[in-house]
Amino acid sequence: MSTEEQGVYETESTLDTSLLKEISKKTLVDALNSVNGSKTLVLDPSLAGPLGLVTEVALLKHHGVDKMFWLERGPLASNTTNIVYLCRPMVNHVKIIADHIKRHAKESSKHNYTLLLVPRLSSLVSRLLEEEGVLGDITISAYNLQFLPIAEDVISLEYESAFKDIWVDGDESVLFDSAQALVTLQKLFGLFPRLLGKGDHAARLIDLLRTYLSQSHDTSTPDTLLEPSSNFDSLIVIDRRVDMITPLLTQLTYEGLMDELLGIRNSHVELPASLVNPPSNAPADAATAPPIATSSTSLRKENRKKYHLSSADSLFKETRDLNFSNVGKHLNAVARRLDDDYKTSLQSKTTAQLRDFVERLRGRLYSEHQSLRIHTGISELLVPMTRTERFNKSLEIQQNLLASYRVSDQISSIEEMIAKETDIETVVRLLCLASITSGGIKTKTLENIKREFLQAYGYNFLPLLLSLAAPSLATLLPNPLPPSTPSNVQESKLPFASLRKSLRLLIDDNPEAMDEVENDISFVYSGYAPISVRLVQCVAQKGGVLSNPAEKEKVTTASDGSKNAQAGGKVQAHPIVGWKGFEDILATIPGKTVDEVQNPVGVVAPLGGIARPKDKATTTVVFFLGGCTYTEIAALRWVARQNRGRNFLIATTGMITGSSIVDGLAGIQKATAGTKDAGI
Amino acid sequence: MSEHPTTSWQAMQNGTVFYRRQQLYSMMGKMPDLGDYIIAGCRYGGPLAMMRDNTKLIAVGRATPAHAKSQIQVYSSAGEGLLLFSWENSRIVRFGWTLNEQLVVLNEDGVYRVYDLQGDYQQYSLGGEASEAGVIDARVYENGMVALTGSLILLEVKGWDGARPLTLVNPNLTDPPLSWAIIPPDLNISRHVEVLLSVENTIHTVDNLENVDQRLSQGPFTHVSPSPNGKSLALLNAAGALLVISSDFQRRMAEFDTLDVPSAQGNVKQVEWCGNDAIVVTWDSLAVLVGPFADTLQYTYVGNTFAITETDGVRIFGADVCDLVQKVPTSTLSIFKPGSTSPAAILFDAWESFSQRSPKADESIRSIRPELATAVDGCIDAAGQEWEPYWQRRLLSAAKFGQGFLDFYNPTDFINMGQTLKVLNAVRFYEIGIPLTYAQYSYTSPTHLISRLTSRNMHLLALRISTFLSLKPDVVLKHWASAKIMRTRPTAGGTGKDSDLDSDDEVCRLIVDKFKQLGGVEVSYAEIAKRAWEVGRTGLATKLLDHEKRASDQVPLLLSMKEDRIALQKAVDSGDTDLVYQVLLHLHKHLTLGSFFRLIEDGGEQLAPASRLLQVYAREQDRDMLRDFYYSDDRRVESAVLALEEASRMQDPSARISAVKSAQKFFSEDKDRSFEAKIMDEFSRLLTLQQQLEAEADGKVAFFNQSVTGTIRTCIVNGMLKRADKIKSDFKVPDKRFWYTKLYALTEVRDFEGLDAFSKSKRSPIGYEPFVRHLVEKGHSKEAVAYVARCDPPKRADLYAECDEWRMVGKECKDRGDKAKLEELRKKCPNSLIARELEQLATSMK
Repeated sequence: MSTEEQGVYETESTLDTSLLKEISKKTLVDALNSVNGSKTLVLDPSLAGPLGLVTEVALLKHHGVDKMFWLERGPLASNTTNIVYLCRPMVNHVKIIADHIKRHAKESSKHNYTLLLVPRLSSLVSRLLEEEGVLGDITISAYNLQFLPIAEDVISLEYESAFKDIWVDGDESVLFDSAQALVTLQKLFGLFPRLLGKGDHAARLIDLLRTYLSQSHDTSTPDTLLEPSSNFDSLIVIDRRVDMITPLLTQLTYEGLMDELLGIRNSHVELPASLVNPPSNAPADAATAPPIATSSTSLRKENRKKYHLSSADSLFKETRDLNFSNVGKHLNAVARRLDDDYKTSLQSKTTAQLRDFVERLRGRLYSEHQSLRIHTGISELLVPMTRTERFNKSLEIQQNLLASYRVSDQISSIEEMIAKETDIETVVRLLCLASITSGGIKTKTLENIKREFLQAYGYNFLPLLLSLAAPSLATLLPNPLPPSTPSNVQESKLPFASLRKSLRLLIDDNPEAMDEVENDISFVYSGYAPISVRLVQCVAQKGGVLSNPAEKEKVTTASDGSKNAQAGGKVQAHPIVGWKGFEDILATIPGKTVDEVQNPVGVVAPLGGIARPKDKATTTVVFFLGGCTYTEIAALRWVARQNRGRNFLIATTGMITGSSIVDGLAGIQKATAGTKDAGI
Repeated sequence: MSEHPTTSWQAMQNGTVFYRRQQLYSMMGKMPDLGDYIIAGCRYGGPLAMMRDNTKLIAVGRATPAHAKSQIQVYSSAGEGLLLFSWENSRIVRFGWTLNEQLVVLNEDGVYRVYDLQGDYQQYSLGGEASEAGVIDARVYENGMVALTGSLILLEVKGWDGARPLTLVNPNLTDPPLSWAIIPPDLNISRHVEVLLSVENTIHTVDNLENVDQRLSQGPFTHVSPSPNGKSLALLNAAGALLVISSDFQRRMAEFDTLDVPSAQGNVKQVEWCGNDAIVVTWDSLAVLVGPFADTLQYTYVGNTFAITETDGVRIFGADVCDLVQKVPTSTLSIFKPGSTSPAAILFDAWESFSQRSPKADESIRSIRPELATAVDGCIDAAGQEWEPYWQRRLLSAAKFGQGFLDFYNPTDFINMGQTLKVLNAVRFYEIGIPLTYAQYSYTSPTHLISRLTSRNMHLLALRISTFLSLKPDVVLKHWASAKIMRTRPTAGGTGKDSDLDSDDEVCRLIVDKFKQLGGVEVSYAEIAKRAWEVGRTGLATKLLDHEKRASDQVPLLLSMKEDRIALQKAVDSGDTDLVYQVLLHLHKHLTLGSFFRLIEDGGEQLAPASRLLQVYAREQDRDMLRDFYYSDDRRVESAVLALEEASRMQDPSARISAVKSAQKFFSEDKDRSFEAKIMDEFSRLLTLQQQLEAEADGKVAFFNQSVTGTIRTCIVNGMLKRADKIKSDFKVPDKRFWYTKLYALTEVRDFEGLDAFSKSKRSPIGYEPFVRHLVEKGHSKEAVAYVARCDPPKRADLYAECDEWRMVGKECKDRGDKAKLEELRKKCPNSLIARELEQLATSMK
């Protein structure tokens, strides 16, 4: 497949996810309008990102928001009578709000307080406000912020701490909220005809989804919940615990690498200001604009600015999922094409041609130019970071561990990385990877390395190590396990070696071929296929798990090329028949396996393939409980491209990287820039 | 055959407008003398509530028993007694009806009760201010009331669920108003309740924003009465003049002198509206209907009267009759008006001829052919306005006859009217006693009617009507079940425990079966169970609750039933974490800490999610509780982690050390945690050491919050090399890590001599490549060069290149005879000068 072709996305009808955005926007406006008059909006900083995806400041102003502040400690000076707080139901937020109200009472300035809780009311918050003695002064209502589209085919709840909440704290609020959000999705587009899931929490989520539907059957039930959707063919829930390996690895797609090295939050990446702001000179000169500062040291000094990574940017859409090693080549090709465009235009003779050219210059050419400039800039930022010794050492250790190649050597390498004061996230990721892939680290070695770790980074990280070893996560274990460990820990070990074979996780193709042909989802990690996506393939593209469809196609086209030609090389997607054919493999992976046909309330249909029109494309919703990585999205998009008649809608609790997980577990707060005046 | 409809008609305005007086019920002697009572009537054919008027004398020997206490009696429109209850609280100042036929009774202390027709009530209060000042009067409307306190302040209550009263603008009264009234919010433009106060010669209008004097001069007014649609006001002044004005006080619509009524004796009793365009003024046994142009119609009654305004007429009670006086509806008028030639009248005539087998029928139909559809509609509508089934049937038959001549006619209206009339006739039956007109029924909706029937415990009728109208039976069933529970209440102490249990099962089975049988799947069992619990039938409540599917409904009741464990279990099962919090917070408040913990701990794996949520909450909000919780559950590891977390928050060094020591103690109590215990031991040693170091450095150097590595680095940076070595040996820091740390630290302070000495102190355990690379990375390429020679020979050329030392690159390659390497590096070199040099070198090599 050539790069040109990869850029071409599904032309078949997909679900209109922007509907979700519109709904969120409308409920926000309604919530704001319920408070009469001009108001001061006080915003939970963690919501600024998600809200930025929903609305813009102008819209808020239009609905009476006079001023905006971050929700933070200290006095709040407001010159409007109405104060609206918008936050998630967290204890510390409530305390700040109570503090504000008490301060105002002391200064005897009178205000009307409204608290909008995201995503729903919380008795905990009411109780806390009651304890603080301010419950009577504040009106509490909910702002139900659910799935937000962060790309055409990706919707996210944008929860930052979902993973920690579920697997460390055991707080299952996320599950409940996810179930609610999935119900909303079904209300919009119809019932999922089939529910599949892997992992204990995935099973619990599906359970919640079913009980909710069986109860919510009353007069207000929309018709869409009464019959299986013709839009959807199934919902696949993948519990993050099932595939811990994927986020631990360094993502190697363009977007993934950007997330790893620069950090993407709510589809925004922070870039040096000079890169984001278009140069003032005319577009024609921009082609020869001087290259941007590339060294990583200068990056820190410069002012940073947020840049929205949107799928409206066609160049980004083409490159986001490419393995980073191919991005340079692609950008180069685009640059050359643009250059050609300019040249041919300069040769235009008639005024009509000239006018046409100017039009194009203003429109498409210009925007393409801008995006080319920015992405070249980003690549130039990334390249030096991928050349560092630490980055490459870490990659090397990852690849060796995945191949189970001289594990004890890898562990000594990790130890050396600790000595070299490598960042804590990388070290923890490698340690966990070593433990999972080899079924635990030898007790003596592990204790030794833990001691090294604590001495190097501080003894206060002991709770981090303990929670990694706790039964709910079990990602950093000694081997053999001490006799006192609960039996479920033993059971929760991933049989990595056998999976590697049965799910074809590691591709041994020669690396040269890899550069040119993306012939398997493993391109996202340069030769390793994420288990999570393999599991989805077990349901939605069974052929892709067993063998390489790209290779097979070569053979078939050679024998009877005419047959496949009209399909443009794509195979008609097979109907969803559950995990069929892979039950044995799934049984070896820890966690419950779910496969259920969902019927509208009261109707009983036999379990089996559901007949549906052949010509209509259906959507498979893949929900990552606990977050997913950009590589998984890239891999799923690749799967979608192989088949005709099936699209994927990727839903997740949030975007994660291994580092963000580690930071969450360790309680490391990454500083976010913020001023007192909030801007979205 | 019933009398012709027109027999009850009376003409007004020169025969253009007719009013009819329809006798609804005759109720000989069913009700006491209306004159002795204070009465409140409910609209839409609702009942009357009566209370003895204590200001009236009672003739000795009359049948009515004298009561010491206040007693309120409720009669249906047909005079059937519905309810009787006595009032033990202080003096009642006012009572009135809500939209749902609930009786609101307000006493002078500002306490009000909302009674249903079964005598069950909810009690609310108007608040402290009202009870202090006392309430002297109130006006009740369908969705709220306005009370006038002793301090002459107006308090508004919205809705009937105990909302906090709102104070309206102070009317600045010195005396209570002579009379007053309210216009309900939904009839005002402002959508707020408006109070009309008759003060001196004028009327003041008061709402929640302003108090306006309307500057009328004909006062004082003894009666103020707004029309049902709130658009007009009828005012009666002390001189007996009846004034009709628009409610915005802009237009005067009519004036009428009540003293002109010849047969009137005594004072005017009531000024009520008949629909929206006529007014009824009543005296003791006379009712006078005043039309828009001051024409009058007189109705005489035996005994005292009471009039209730309806939206489309007025109901007038006499001693033994209940009448409905209303303007004859247009459709009826057009058919039955003598000499009417409207299509509907001709159609009706045609049908009569047809039923008498007269050929005139065909002729009549032909004559109205173009307007036949209108005529059919007219007949259907007129059927709805008739009271007598005989005439209803005739009019509908006429409509049906007309339909036969139409090619396309949508029969929906016809069918609906038939159904509706069947329902209306059923509820108008005197035993039911709801004289609802078609217009009122359309306005209040069928579900409203059904709820009125259920509140009278007429479940069978309600159920049949709802089935007949294809409505869901849920509401009826729910009410029925509650009533059932009330009725089957086992007699106290009568039959003993076993039979009690039997009856619980019996009732539960009965209810569940009935629901299943009638398809009432959406009935909330929780509400019924709540009812059962309220009447003290816990067993039944539990059984019913088991049938409830929605946990969010089950849990609150379970909590109030003190079924703590089950409540928690249900909440956990529901997956709704907020519900779990609700239960946890409730239990935390109501149980002792010990039993609270025990409840959660005993729950084991099933309640584990609740336990975890409690920990999440407590970690943020109540750490002491969390500590106790871990301690009571012997969770050593968690206790230790908690201690450690606290240590990291502490600023005071010695407090932190003791916190870490307690963490160490917790770990050491668990035999599987010897490693962690050891680590904690190291931690406390480190902290002690850091304390010493800070003291040694006279507080100039901060050591706290640093790891072992960090401490070593800080020592080196500050020249405390001996100390660094000591720490290395004390904490058994491996050579490798120590070397890296020292390398980094010395580079940081640019102590290149020290670094050199250090590198030569012994053979480097990490080799010398890291030296070169780190120095280059930090921009000290010159210093790095010296170390290249000590690295592995094959790597030297590359390392020199990194140091930007191209001569040495050339030399190295030459020495090793590695031409390929030289070629490779040549491509990377920064300028052509060097490139040429290297090229020369390459050519010189073989």
